[in-house]
Amino acid sequence: MPDFGSLLIQLFSGLSRAMMLFLLSSGLSLIFGVMNILNFAHATLWLVAAYLTYTFFQILSNFLANEALVLVAAIVLATGIMFFLGLAIERFLVRRMYPRELPEQLLLTFALILIFSDLIKLFWGVENRRIVLPIEPLEVLGSFVNPYFFVIIAAGCGIALGLWWFLHRTRYGKIVRAAVFSRDMVSALGIRIPVIYAGVFGLGVGLAALTAGIFLPIMPLSLGIDMDLIVQCFSVVVIGGFGSILGTFIASLIVGIVYSFSILFWPDGALAIIFIILVAVLILRPWGLFGTEMRF
Amino acid sequence: MPFIQDPGLVDEAKKAGWLTRLYRRRGLSGPVAAVLLLGFLLTPLLPGKFPTIVATEILIVGLFALSFNLIYGYMGQISFGHGAFFGLGAYATALLLRYFQMSAGEVSYFGFFLAILAALPVSAFGSLIVGFFCIRLTGIYFAMLSLAFGELLFYIVFSWYSFTKGDDGIQGLMPPPFFQNSTHYYYFTLAIVVMAALLLWRITESPFGYTLRMLRDNRNRAAFLGINARRVMLMNFVTAGIFAGLAGALWGPFQRSVSPALLGWAESGKAVFMTLIGGAYFLVGPMAGSIIYTGLNAYVTRYTVFWPLTIGLIILLIVLFVPGGLLSVIDQRISRRGTERESRERIPPEAAPGPENEA
Repeated sequence: MPDFGSLLIQLFSGLSRAMMLFLLSSGLSLIFGVMNILNFAHATLWLVAAYLTYTFFQILSNFLANEALVLVAAIVLATGIMFFLGLAIERFLVRRMYPRELPEQLLLTFALILIFSDLIKLFWGVENRRIVLPIEPLEVLGSFVNPYFFVIIAAGCGIALGLWWFLHRTRYGKIVRAAVFSRDMVSALGIRIPVIYAGVFGLGVGLAALTAGIFLPIMPLSLGIDMDLIVQCFSVVVIGGFGSILGTFIASLIVGIVYSFSILFWPDGALAIIFIILVAVLILRPWGLFGTEMRF
Repeated sequence: MPFIQDPGLVDEAKKAGWLTRLYRRRGLSGPVAAVLLLGFLLTPLLPGKFPTIVATEILIVGLFALSFNLIYGYMGQISFGHGAFFGLGAYATALLLRYFQMSAGEVSYFGFFLAILAALPVSAFGSLIVGFFCIRLTGIYFAMLSLAFGELLFYIVFSWYSFTKGDDGIQGLMPPPFFQNSTHYYYFTLAIVVMAALLLWRITESPFGYTLRMLRDNRNRAAFLGINARRVMLMNFVTAGIFAGLAGALWGPFQRSVSPALLGWAESGKAVFMTLIGGAYFLVGPMAGSIIYTGLNAYVTRYTVFWPLTIGLIILLIVLFVPGGLLSVIDQRISRRGTERESRERIPPEAAPGPENEA
């Protein structure tokens, strides 16, 4: 039985992973809820944002001494660029797919995975990248924990609150929620749906980029981690239920913590346990824990 | 046929070549299949062994894509876990071949054929279990459950080291001496694939096949007509799984090894791409797609490592502009030309209405 110290570390790791899954899956769920498009390439765009943030961090470190400031600036820059990239992707590619069948929509985003993964390989090569912030490990209950975890959890909660506030308290957010409910009525009220869609897609991608930037200090970058991640995001969205933020939150906790603890006992099969849960949910309750009940 | 009363055109029709008559009777797949068969038969005449080896790969993954299209083009669902049955068939054959090799030193011809046949019940069983759950769902849920099952099967094969040797894969598979020659193995593969394709043709052009199409187009109406949708879908799923297992069985001795990656979603994705490129609504569409995909892969990877970028861009362009696939483009061109020719002959030029004739 592993000792309490490593259990604690796994708990923190699981919580921060859950936070990342929640932030990423929220974007995915939002895009699906509003536009009915399942963006397979969500994690790949997240990885692009991560590499972009890394590069900005490297560049800006030459000009500013304070690492925290450099990180924040890099995150802001990368998120901004990715937001506009998201707008462009929606405007030129995704928009043509709305009248199409589901398989073709899936194939479009699948192709985007291939394209962006290889673009990362083209621009950044195959070596792993990481950024290192000079942070002293904090001693908690007898073992050392990276205090950046607390920053992540705080930032994650902050962003989640911000997202909730945006969707429930601002006019634009209410329009987005209305568009999920009835696209035609919103259009009939004179609000331009294409602008809403582009905005939501950009928002989703920007959210993914923000997540990537925040997690960069504790996560070495390598090619292919987006594949692992997109599968976990799908699991979260299915388990939690499409279109439910609370469901996404609970499901992220489940998937994140189960994954982290599985690494202790069965490292290779941690993902397999997630798949078993996913299969069970899809068989017994396909609409997820908090989704709207459906008949097949 | 609309113009049968016009004697001039009947003579015209009789003069049409055998290829055109095949088109008129069997749709586009007829002549395309004939042309492809001719091409496949003649491929080993090309210089070197490379074309023959590439063509063997085209045939095997083409069969895999044909089996996938039973689910996608004819039943209307997209399955990202189909590679699992390909992999199950490959492993079934590989494990038996290794057993024969280790116990007898060499694989006998009887053992070889037995190993290939053994893939069929294994993939049938696998697809029965997976299909039982998948067919209860449709659309995106079907896609995700099939993906999840496929990945689960991948993990089982990956982790069960004592039985499958996990990530190492099974190496050193040798077919019997006669089949170790690439040309011999190629014609063997061609024979099997042609027989499988004929079987698939009979399946899709039967009442069962048309029931599938109805399930694709309007599932509710099929239910109202008293069709047991789940039973038909399960039968189709298992059939597709068996053909995928057959393709997998051919793969092991061809590559001389198998690895767990054959069960993953990357492999399933290949079948989807090939079907999309060639055309999902034609029987031989996936085979045409395999020629393009596998052929491109074989030649592009000699010059650049950025194969995913290349194929990603191609898929993107096809999905955006030609979602029906290559064969749909050919089909449109041919029917347009045929219609133009027939209408030109019916209306004499002087009486043709037009702006210049108006009084």
